[in-house]
Amino acid sequence: MAEENAQQSYGSSGGGGGPRSSGPGGGPGGRPGGPAKRGKRNFVRKKKVCRFCVDKADFIDYKKAEILAPFIQERGKILPRRMTGTCARHQRWLTVAIKRAQNIALLPFAAEL
Amino acid sequence: MEERLYDLIFICRPDTPEADIDKVITTLEHVATEKGGKIDSVNKWGRKRMAYRVQKLREGYYVYMVVRSSHGEVVKELERRLKVADPVMKYLTVRLDEELKRQDKLKRHRERRAARRPRKTVPAAPAMPGTEPQAAAPTA
Repeated sequence: MAEENAQQSYGSSGGGGGPRSSGPGGGPGGRPGGPAKRGKRNFVRKKKVCRFCVDKADFIDYKKAEILAPFIQERGKILPRRMTGTCARHQRWLTVAIKRAQNIALLPFAAEL
Repeated sequence: MEERLYDLIFICRPDTPEADIDKVITTLEHVATEKGGKIDSVNKWGRKRMAYRVQKLREGYYVYMVVRSSHGEVVKELERRLKVADPVMKYLTVRLDEELKRQDKLKRHRERRAARRPRKTVPAAPAMPGTEPQAAAPTA
């Protein structure tokens, strides 16, 4: 086991040094086909849908803090698109709305201790 | 120049009497009309907990109003007044008309698409009821 692991780690480090040469071995492993073969990271991800698209929102109101609240972290950071599944257009509007809400103290800039 | 629409929110100290807040609102209305603008609506949200402390206070009295004006002087003067007014802790002005215009455009676009869609689905719809009786007939 230990030897195998050692070999794998060598292989990966070699891949890091010269991605082109080890491409057939390591490169495709990162692609969707690879993980399934090895039996690792073989989980199905639920497709996230933009909530504003579902509601057909043409406009995100900065005055409604309760709508914006699910899109910020506990520390007050804006959640990225990859976490919430918001589409690019709505994320753009959302960030503006959140920043406006922060300005008028409807949402926190950072959580207070 | 075309008319512009603004959102104006300001937060007063929570301990200010209602009368003082009304006074601020009336002076703002006067200023707006003087400068050629108009305050469309005033909405007192009342005392609300703020997301962070402002001037060491956790609560504030929110007032929301919609301002209509054709030049920026109105907003400039309103903001100056708010800065000077004692009970006011914080204020925010947001230009609304461009967003409303975009919203309108998107809405019209969607309606047009919705109007176009039925033409595609209508031919399919009559076919569906037709197949159902046929399927039901053999069993009966």
